[in-house]
Amino acid sequence: MRVVLPLGVFLLLVALLAIGLTLNPREVPSPLIGKGAPTFELPRLHEPARRFSPGELRGQVWLLNVWASWCASCRDEHPLLVELARSRVVPVYGLNYKDKREDALRWLVQFGDPYVLSVADTDGRIGIDYGVYGVPETYVIDKSGVIRYKQIGPITEERLKSRILPLVAELQR
Amino acid sequence: MMRAVIALLLAMAVVAPAADAPPAAEDPALEKRVTDLAAELRCLVCQNQSLADSNAGLAVDLRNQIRDRMKQGESEGQIVDFMVARYGEFVLYRPPMKVATLLLWFGPALLLAIGLFVLFTRVRRRRVAGEPELSAGDRERATRLLAPGNEARNKSTE
Amino acid sequence: MLLAIMAFSLSLLGTFLVRSGVLTSVHAFATDPKRGVFILAFLTVVIGGSLALYAWRTSRIGLGGSFEPVSREALLLTNNVLLAAAMGSVFLGTLYPLVMDAFGLGKISVGPPYFEAVFVPLMAPALFLMGVGPLARWKKASLPELAVRLRWAFGVSVIGALLLPLTLGRWSPLVSFGLLLAGWIVAASVVLLADRVRHAATGAGVWARLATTPRAFYGMLLAHLGIAVFVVGVTLVKGYEAEKDVRMQAGDTTELSGYTFRLAAVSDVKGPNYVAARGTMEVTRDGRPVTTLYPEKRVYNVQQMPMTEAAIDAGLTRDLYVSLGEQIDPRTWLVRVQLKPFVDWIWGGCVLMALGGLLAASDRRYRVAARGGALAAAAAGAGGRS
Repeated sequence: MRVVLPLGVFLLLVALLAIGLTLNPREVPSPLIGKGAPTFELPRLHEPARRFSPGELRGQVWLLNVWASWCASCRDEHPLLVELARSRVVPVYGLNYKDKREDALRWLVQFGDPYVLSVADTDGRIGIDYGVYGVPETYVIDKSGVIRYKQIGPITEERLKSRILPLVAELQR
Repeated sequence: MMRAVIALLLAMAVVAPAADAPPAAEDPALEKRVTDLAAELRCLVCQNQSLADSNAGLAVDLRNQIRDRMKQGESEGQIVDFMVARYGEFVLYRPPMKVATLLLWFGPALLLAIGLFVLFTRVRRRRVAGEPELSAGDRERATRLLAPGNEARNKSTE
Repeated sequence: MLLAIMAFSLSLLGTFLVRSGVLTSVHAFATDPKRGVFILAFLTVVIGGSLALYAWRTSRIGLGGSFEPVSREALLLTNNVLLAAAMGSVFLGTLYPLVMDAFGLGKISVGPPYFEAVFVPLMAPALFLMGVGPLARWKKASLPELAVRLRWAFGVSVIGALLLPLTLGRWSPLVSFGLLLAGWIVAASVVLLADRVRHAATGAGVWARLATTPRAFYGMLLAHLGIAVFVVGVTLVKGYEAEKDVRMQAGDTTELSGYTFRLAAVSDVKGPNYVAARGTMEVTRDGRPVTTLYPEKRVYNVQQMPMTEAAIDAGLTRDLYVSLGEQIDPRTWLVRVQLKPFVDWIWGGCVLMALGGLLAASDRRYRVAARGGALAAAAAGAGGRS
């Protein structure tokens, strides 16, 4: 019995490691899913004199996309966002994270502006409230202002089709 | 080496009296509390460093958050709750004590107990079993090797 | 036998863990789950194969003689249990987050606070036994006899552990404890060596007795000394490390633990694939120059993320670190200076351990065993025929 034990334990370990290969250790799941989207009041990127608060969007399903002009991966997902905005399925709002206004505006001109509007989170405080630890990140928020899904990293075609769009459709019913 | 010395002497002669650098923090006592708490939290960007050690932008921001909240009078516990509410338990360097982690925290003691138990039962079993019997051929060989004339050959043993 | 299999298996496992991307790690700079599958398959074949062989053939390997609960064998095995438990707990702490994630129980992280809380209580008794073990007789040792032989060693290490921290600055119970364990190992080793010199079988002189002592013994002494050095390094670094974060402009100085750091200048330099701001930090002690350090803040052309290159001055009794933090304004930088006392003793201790192991392995007896086997076979053949 005792001599077979090491082998048995080892095989269990291999099974665990094989499962581990399918997981991503760097991904930190958000504890905010199922909770209300943290409130804020930030100046708008294009009209700094006016402010915006997520409370204004009660009754709608919407996407909050965290982006920055200095973020290379944001460029990867941007065409998808532009396409999504054009399809008018769900409104996309931008949280411009730790960026300079001129750089951000220039970036939008260059790559397209899918956002109904963007707010400027220059010091990243609101990002912390949302548990942002990398850019880009995207949140799906329902009609009562509850976060239903967090996309860590750029949105892919596959993720959009399999998770985000079906969820949005369900929430909009 | 010499050049550094000469450069140093020249610099001292030419430059205005050097100022003793002010600390980065205005309040070293507060800063120590910030660093101590930051050392218990994991940086989410450089995930192998603590919030105290990391130079990542988010780490600097979070340290600032800790400092501001401490200035406002929040306790370490409240600030930790703040972090966990936003980033989950992953942000804790010291794993929380809850049902799921009982095995983690008591595992080492358990391993030691099992190991010592196995050891004691094995030792006792051997004592009961007694010495293994020597075969006749082995016994004869042992007698020959232990004979007085064989000391030279035995020198290499302890 | 199982220990040997486990040692190699664990090193294979370590390779897998850092290269496959299963765990986040400082060593993981080219993680790839596809590569992970390959390593896992290799690992399964090698380790699974050896464990299967072990299960099948182990009854053939002899069990050896019996021994008392208090004897050198028992102490050695107890130490093995302690070391195995320590290894097991590191293993547990490393893989636990993965287990929880795999079972959907959420994501936790296990960091240094856990390992320190768990490892030290397991290793401390092991270190204590390390002093006692070599003095115990094989098969049956007597506790009173051991206590008598070791009381001098114990007394010296306690006094040393209590007084030494005072010479280094602050007294702290943890530092004292660490020094006590290290001092204990050294003192017990001295007793062991002294005993060997005094109680030789024949009336040969001191040098002759030392010369005929097998290399394995010196190997053991060296390895144990290495462990003591290692413990001293860890204890003193943790106990007395100092650091300071300051705002500096060119010409400013700051002081840490008797060393004076003067930021002579910060200049822009260009490397092969990066641009950097390089600081020139002159370090002096009591007015005499020690070294000049060049910490850098690099921005690599491809990554565009600032990387900090710390400048280190390594020494036998301390390491000095200087690193540039953020640039607050065009003329002012945040600078961090650190003093790590005796940190290179950690490496030194490991080197001594390795040398001790090599020395012990080169002992004639391990090579004579092969020759002796042939000799015994010939004698048995002759005995059988008569």
